[in-house]
Amino acid sequence: MSKTIVCRCEDVSLSDLEDAFKQGYHDLESLKRYTGFSTGFCQGKGCTAHAARFLAGLQGGDDMVADPPRVRPLLHPTPAIRFAGEDDGGGEENT
Amino acid sequence: MCLIAAGIDVFGRSIKYHRPRGPWCLSGHCSGCLMRIDGIPNQRSCEIHCRSGMLVERQSGWPGTGFDMLRAVDWLSGERLDHHSMFTSSSTMNRLAARIVRRFSGYGDPPSADPPAAVPMRKQDAKTVIIGAGAAGLSAALALASAGHELLLFESSRRVGGRLLDAATSISEPGGRADDQIESGWSCLQKIEKRLADSSGIETHTGTGVLAVYPGERFEVLASNLEQTFLVRAERLIICSGAYEQLPLFANNDLPGLFGIRALDRLVCGYGVVPGEPLVVVGDSERALRLADLLAENDLTLSGVVTKRREGEAIDRLRARGVPVFFDYKPTGARGGRRLDRIELAPAGGLEADLILDCRACAIEAPAAPAYELAYHAGCRVGFASDSGYQVTTEGDGMTSHGNIFAAGHCTGSRSTEEALLHGEQAGRACALSIREEES
Repeated sequence: MSKTIVCRCEDVSLSDLEDAFKQGYHDLESLKRYTGFSTGFCQGKGCTAHAARFLAGLQGGDDMVADPPRVRPLLHPTPAIRFAGEDDGGGEENT
Repeated sequence: MCLIAAGIDVFGRSIKYHRPRGPWCLSGHCSGCLMRIDGIPNQRSCEIHCRSGMLVERQSGWPGTGFDMLRAVDWLSGERLDHHSMFTSSSTMNRLAARIVRRFSGYGDPPSADPPAAVPMRKQDAKTVIIGAGAAGLSAALALASAGHELLLFESSRRVGGRLLDAATSISEPGGRADDQIESGWSCLQKIEKRLADSSGIETHTGTGVLAVYPGERFEVLASNLEQTFLVRAERLIICSGAYEQLPLFANNDLPGLFGIRALDRLVCGYGVVPGEPLVVVGDSERALRLADLLAENDLTLSGVVTKRREGEAIDRLRARGVPVFFDYKPTGARGGRRLDRIELAPAGGLEADLILDCRACAIEAPAAPAYELAYHAGCRVGFASDSGYQVTTEGDGMTSHGNIFAAGHCTGSRSTEEALLHGEQAGRACALSIREEES
């Protein structure tokens, strides 16, 4: 079946966004929470700009999407073991 | 890369519609190349070096990626699937559906290998941290080092250079020479690396991605590589995090075989791996045309180059080699079963007939989306530009809305590589100036 995919990680198609918009999700943050775009493995690197343009296009201006949806650390999915190590003592930490 | 060289195109299936997925950014940002490697799931296979005896598995459900049971979802769902209301009429139905999906989807299998050993956490202080060693980050580092300041430079790729590493990058010689005096990004990078080697006070960590910047009296920069994790308390930051390549929106834009322009450049020119022939290149920039020219020069079959540019040396050369060049068409759809077979294009003006080009791989250009996230974490103002996406707002010299953070290059908006070089230098100088002001 032909689909135009906006978010590849969470499989959100352009029609999914249109449908969500029709249901009343008119801002980027709630559109994101409803459809799930930008919440997958890549954390929105490939879809946030597309989704913002989609919303700006429907609402006739960039003002409505002036703020990006909330982005939280970490930037990439990272194995937790990377943070389980002990301080190697090489730093000049002030406690 | 070895998998593509071995003719493997479908790396997995997508999470909801179970559509075939393959790598397309080849820079460790997208989810197209996720695989289970030596028992550890969800690894970005494009970033991992192939080793003898490595066990690389697809993460799809029974009976396998080639014949995925749940691909029926894609056919049955039409244009969309509303997972909020599906199977919610009765709780028994809901439980049954959840069980079927868990059994067949293939995602969520826990690791079967022991986790890798913990890596040391290195805590240190730094005057200035530069995030990203692409064109902007490298020239910022040079500017700062030549003013006598120490700095820490983090680069997530295994090698510094960013766009300068791409075969299709060309730079107009700085210093007022004629426009036709251009040099390759590679030769520009070699000059920069020579100057870097002569500079003192630069500590560079490649293969080390910055994961977060926590604001405070000093910034805490969290970065990680395979051997160690860094938690650096920095007084100043220069953010040169670059931009993420994007693919445009059209029907079946997720088919394996579609790549970004820079991704295909890295794959073919960097690794010498051709993902399939004939190839098609769609793009309006100098970079896209140079890539097409390089592909044709290396005797690869191109079934077409689609661009807005009507003249230029690259176009003349492509035509001389018998490559069909089409003007003013936009991609409207990709066709193929498990991977790309042909690309459909419609004329921008609407007068000519639609165009269908047979191809096994296609590079399509779309404006890159600036990597604004780290600056946003740190508290910088971010603005939206409809031609690219969210970007870090800067003054001309790389000053952000935060006094101790500077930003330069593609994370602040779309620009050419030489503009990024210049912008990085300005940001480096502005940072040096601000250190001097504070000291005096």
